[in-house]
Amino acid sequence: MRTLHLSGSGVHFLFVMHLPHEPTHLPIDVPDPAAQDEVTVVPLKIEDWLTVIVMGLLALITFLNVLVRYFTDQSFAWTEEFSVFLMIVLALVAGSASVARNRQIRIEFFADSGSPARQRRLARFGALMVALLFAMLAALSTRMVYDDFQYGETSPGIGIPQWWYSMWLPILSCAIALRALGLFIRRGRRA
Amino acid sequence: MIVTLLFAAFFLMMLVGVPIGAALGLAGAAAIGLANADSQWFGLLAVPQNFYAGLGKYPLLAIPMFVLVGSIFDRSGVALRLVNFAIAMVGRGPGMLPVVVVAVAMLMGGISGSGPATAAAVGGVMIAAMTRSGYPPAFSAGVVGAAASIDILIPPSIAFIVYSVLVPGVSVPAIFAAGMLPGLLVGLALMVPAVWLSRKYHFGQQEALLPKPPFWASLREASWGLAAPVLILGGMRAGWFTPTEAAVVAVFYGLFVGMVIYRSIRVRDLFHILRESGELSAIILLVVALAGIFAYSLSTLGIVDPLTQAIVNSGLGEYGVLALLILMLTVVGMFLDGISIFLIFVPLLLPIVNFYHWDPVWFGVLLTLMVALGQFTPPIAVNLMVTCRIAGVRMEETVRWVIWLLAALFCVLLLVIIFPSIALWLPTRLGY
Repeated sequence: MRTLHLSGSGVHFLFVMHLPHEPTHLPIDVPDPAAQDEVTVVPLKIEDWLTVIVMGLLALITFLNVLVRYFTDQSFAWTEEFSVFLMIVLALVAGSASVARNRQIRIEFFADSGSPARQRRLARFGALMVALLFAMLAALSTRMVYDDFQYGETSPGIGIPQWWYSMWLPILSCAIALRALGLFIRRGRRA
Repeated sequence: MIVTLLFAAFFLMMLVGVPIGAALGLAGAAAIGLANADSQWFGLLAVPQNFYAGLGKYPLLAIPMFVLVGSIFDRSGVALRLVNFAIAMVGRGPGMLPVVVVAVAMLMGGISGSGPATAAAVGGVMIAAMTRSGYPPAFSAGVVGAAASIDILIPPSIAFIVYSVLVPGVSVPAIFAAGMLPGLLVGLALMVPAVWLSRKYHFGQQEALLPKPPFWASLREASWGLAAPVLILGGMRAGWFTPTEAAVVAVFYGLFVGMVIYRSIRVRDLFHILRESGELSAIILLVVALAGIFAYSLSTLGIVDPLTQAIVNSGLGEYGVLALLILMLTVVGMFLDGISIFLIFVPLLLPIVNFYHWDPVWFGVLLTLMVALGQFTPPIAVNLMVTCRIAGVRMEETVRWVIWLLAALFCVLLLVIIFPSIALWLPTRLGY
């Protein structure tokens, strides 16, 4: 007997998103994540594909950086700036999907107890607050981008116009705000 | 007045289940607006600036990379092989499976560094096995939940990365090294009551009848997993990699093990792995960025100093304040995960640390121990919630077992307070 079959079915035990306070997402068997996904009007595939691409790029760039440094004694500093930019894009794009799926870190103790009506009300309130925050962020950061554009700010590392980077903050904040609004509407419908 | 309003709004929003990040961002923005009522746009332009600046830090890149490492290793089947090897090592007998649980949780913590992830990975494998061997499910859930809380202590811990970004002068390698010995100590401390309780109540009687995996074969199988922490931590120690690079090397190592050696990860699984880890990273990074707004509002309102003065002049003394902190953070740790706690409380606590001349590295370890304590304190503990769900028990049933494990962790906490060198010896020795 070479291996013990502790879990019966082998090695594909439990792996789902397991953030703290997310017990609803912790089934015993590995489910098909697509099966119980949120149904949205604008497909979540958009964010998902972007997330996969950005995450893959981040890993590849960082890994190449290590290899290049060891084999050629050079480091390309510009990758650092680009990686940081990619990380910000990742946070906003994948964050948008996480808002639509209602997977933010939150205290569930009070929000997920009580009558279904109360739970729904609190879920909608949470979604509305997220929408409010990111709508505000979108509006304010538009002004920030305008300043970057107007004063011709350039990035410290590569020296390209700063607004090429910062313009994505208002655009993606808008996307998150809309995702939060979508969640607000969906939670209202499920009566 | 503004301050009271700020905190009242913040805590109320958090309690009713508004996402932590949104509560932090909104409360911060409201405070900035109220404090700068006369300036252009109420000074709110600082909001996107702090959001952008809070996120645009190169060290934070270690977070998505370590989350990816955890996701890959969770899928690769390393945990199961580590369990087999641990059983081969300690042998079969009453009280041995709990030891295996703690040992494997420690090793998995040395790979992935996220707490409830380990609770799920180890719990998924071990709780059923323990039930078959005659351990009550409530006991198993308690042991796994407690063992998984060591994860935020044993490097690479994402909570530690966040701490080092927040606290000037604390490098990632230094705090990683500082968590090592206390982490091992907690592991040993948890094994003691686990074995003692099993013996006392005659749990796991059937365990001795089960076959023991062959030592060398299971060592060979597990060696790929065992090498991962060596690669990550050794590579950083030898100066080969920065923490971010160590993580990315571990990513490709894990993919090699999962896809070529164990053949448990297929090419099309990569989409799910990247998507899940990307989303989990984003959830963490958004809280980090939005906490930047909150921290900025605290500093503009100038409330940290008066608060610090009030606390240090309260007549409690150094150890009184420390005791108060333990109590407070354990309670907070029951509700919140380590990263959010660090983001909210470290900016508030840092002046106290400076006032008493506490070592920030030591304090980071202490803070993490307090949070770990909260993570498996019933009735709302994060890790226990995960393991109770797997075991199918109510959390109240675990209390009579968990209480002993909590006591064990508390002893380690006291030891680290009395002998700071438990945390500080290794980083000093390694020259960080």
